[in-house]
Amino acid sequence: MKKLVLKLIVYSILVVLSLEILVRVFHLTKDYPERYVDEYDVEKWVPNQEGYSVTGNRRQNFSKYHINKLGFNSYREFNPSKDKVEIALVGDSFIEGFHQNYYNSIGKKIEDKLKGVEVYEYGYAGYDLADQLHLINKYKKQFDFIDHVVLGLKFENDLTRGEYNVVQDRMVFETPLYKLMKEIKLIVYLQSNGFFDHIRELGKKTMSIENSLDEPKINKEDTQKNIELKYFENFMNLISIYGFDKTRFVFLIESKKTPELFLAYLKRENFKYIDFSKPFETSKRTPTLIYDKHWNNHGRDIIANLITDYIK
Amino acid sequence: MVFNSLEYFIFLPIVFLLYWFVLNKRVKAQNILILVASYVFYGLWDWRFLSLILLSTVVDYFVALKIDSLDEKSKRKSWLWVSVIFNVGLLGFFKYYNFFIDSWVDMVSIMGYEIKSTWTLRVILPVGISFYTFQTMSYSFDVYYKKLKPTTDFLSFAAFVSFFPQLVAGPIERASNLLSQILNKRTFNYDQIVSGLKLILWGLFKKIVIADSLAPMVDDIFTNYSTYPASTLILGVTMFSFQVYGDFSGYSDIAIGTAKLFGVELMSNFKFPNFSRNVAEYWQRWHVSLSTWFRHYVYIPLGGSKVSKLKAIRNISIVFLVSGFWHGANWTFIFWGAFHALVFIPVFLMGRNAVYKDSVVGENTFLPTLTEVGQVLLTFAIVTFSRIFFRSESITAAFSFINKIFTDFSYEAYSHPMGYRMIDYYVLIILFVIYEYIIRKDERSPFKFKSKVVRFIVYTIVIFSMLLFYDSHMDRSFIYFQF
Repeated sequence: MKKLVLKLIVYSILVVLSLEILVRVFHLTKDYPERYVDEYDVEKWVPNQEGYSVTGNRRQNFSKYHINKLGFNSYREFNPSKDKVEIALVGDSFIEGFHQNYYNSIGKKIEDKLKGVEVYEYGYAGYDLADQLHLINKYKKQFDFIDHVVLGLKFENDLTRGEYNVVQDRMVFETPLYKLMKEIKLIVYLQSNGFFDHIRELGKKTMSIENSLDEPKINKEDTQKNIELKYFENFMNLISIYGFDKTRFVFLIESKKTPELFLAYLKRENFKYIDFSKPFETSKRTPTLIYDKHWNNHGRDIIANLITDYIK
Repeated sequence: MVFNSLEYFIFLPIVFLLYWFVLNKRVKAQNILILVASYVFYGLWDWRFLSLILLSTVVDYFVALKIDSLDEKSKRKSWLWVSVIFNVGLLGFFKYYNFFIDSWVDMVSIMGYEIKSTWTLRVILPVGISFYTFQTMSYSFDVYYKKLKPTTDFLSFAAFVSFFPQLVAGPIERASNLLSQILNKRTFNYDQIVSGLKLILWGLFKKIVIADSLAPMVDDIFTNYSTYPASTLILGVTMFSFQVYGDFSGYSDIAIGTAKLFGVELMSNFKFPNFSRNVAEYWQRWHVSLSTWFRHYVYIPLGGSKVSKLKAIRNISIVFLVSGFWHGANWTFIFWGAFHALVFIPVFLMGRNAVYKDSVVGENTFLPTLTEVGQVLLTFAIVTFSRIFFRSESITAAFSFINKIFTDFSYEAYSHPMGYRMIDYYVLIILFVIYEYIIRKDERSPFKFKSKVVRFIVYTIVIFSMLLFYDSHMDRSFIYFQF
């Protein structure tokens, strides 16, 4: 038995080491840029970083990112002025666009269609409406020069809070332990491809069995309604705190995933929005990546076309 | 609990450690552990159906004792019928009840009468029922034919029936092999355990890398076959051939490997069927435990081949039709069985059904001869064609699929709607076939290389491939669970 255990340990170590080497050699996993919180309490990437983002077990999607001087992934620096026409895209990872080469982003696609226009992509993974409005508010001087501001809004994700504060959960990734884990590429690879999901699921299952023993039954429909009402309230709260320039600001929405009530409210209150539900549904090709629901090149084309049409 | 789940990888070491370190040297206690572990393993799917396993165990335990106590052949036979009627009845109700009712309704409607299928029930198919009922029946048969003395140790018998490595999808063991091992003392054997671990690794590779990764393409092509050109349909059914092989042989390897961890040797279930040189050889290499079962308990009792040619053909046809029906309550499986009977009979009539029994393609050379390549390709094509019936949702869909291939041939490169990179899968299949060819002589030693370095490189590649093709969103159950 000793022999078995010993051999298993030795083989496991050797295999893990070999896998780490293979993951590195084939660059199968993404690089993590460093993040920080600036003097305005805005969370963003440390400026002037470069690296590669990878999606899929077999590097199905491989793209380069470039963090500009302001801390966002973009091929250009953001220098808005009165003399130019600028568009700002503000949003989460979909706008951030680590799933594309930074020189082939939605912004670049729009610029190719609208000559002379500069597009600034203020995208950061995890940004919700509170983050977006806080950013616009803190960088007011810049944004005042920008002619059109498009804000990505996913109802079920982006309205979970009614006021801004720095999300400490994300900043945990900058702790020494996480930094060390990020250095072990095999862990990053396994994590990004869902290998640890089952461990989490098993943990959740165990927890839910324990909890279900003493928790009263909840009506799911009521809970859903309450959540929607809470999100609605958060939306109104954020708008009242930061204001909203309805002449320049427009939401980018997938109406299919947005409650009717909220859409009706936006219409009634003259909040403009660009809806990408239909073009995504009717598209012959899938607009998203395989192992990741972010937009692929085709999806980004659709979004760029919609924004261009709107601006025109 | 499925073999390729995290739960199993927690469950297995616990049972292993208890088995060898806590209960070592006490066969009875080890058998009780196997029984409890097996019931936990099965109960995590649906504990209600444990009662069926228990019932089948009790019935065959007492039937066998009764048969053994009697001398008169007719009485022994009557008790054998009790086992057959009970087990087939159990199968009939849970697996075929709705099929018979619906077929009856369809038949009546063809004759112009409209009746509603009010007798159709929402019967859930208990996982593994086709496997353990056949296994318990084999015990009663063996006792009846006096090939085996019945055991009086009920717990060990219950452990034999429910032995978790092979409970839900085989290999369907004969009592003379498995029960005798369970009744006797097992010793911790390093080589046997290492060999078991290797088989588990190889089985997982076939399941995760071959079967699961091809599933999205196969599902898409069979679901939307009417929209694809014939070339894509051929690709779809070819991929299904590899998928079902990877899935089921992968399961069997994990089962055999797991059993080895407990000092138990199960029979081989797959012997590289993709390298068969005719359909008869294919059936000596594919799902061997089921073919053996049918040969021993259906074909030979019917007279086998030691009767007139006509009767032998009848026997072959019966075996294939019953085998098709065993797979599922759908006309597609019956057609699949009938098709195999049709392609097997000519081989039988030419006297070539046993010519490749003890050899493998490229027996004495590394590379196969051109004739062998032709034979292998032809057999693969025939078997793959039959799988159109096996995989289609209905017999109408199967014939439309075939019709499209033969009447509307056109070629177009296939691309999956989700945008999967197809070249990865083509390369994967080619490399898999090459590797299987290299190891074709011993299905129980997938990593039989003399050099430690080569072995280590192969292990690493196998594990690395699992990482490369693993899909966390994939439904991880095995195809043969539905049977």
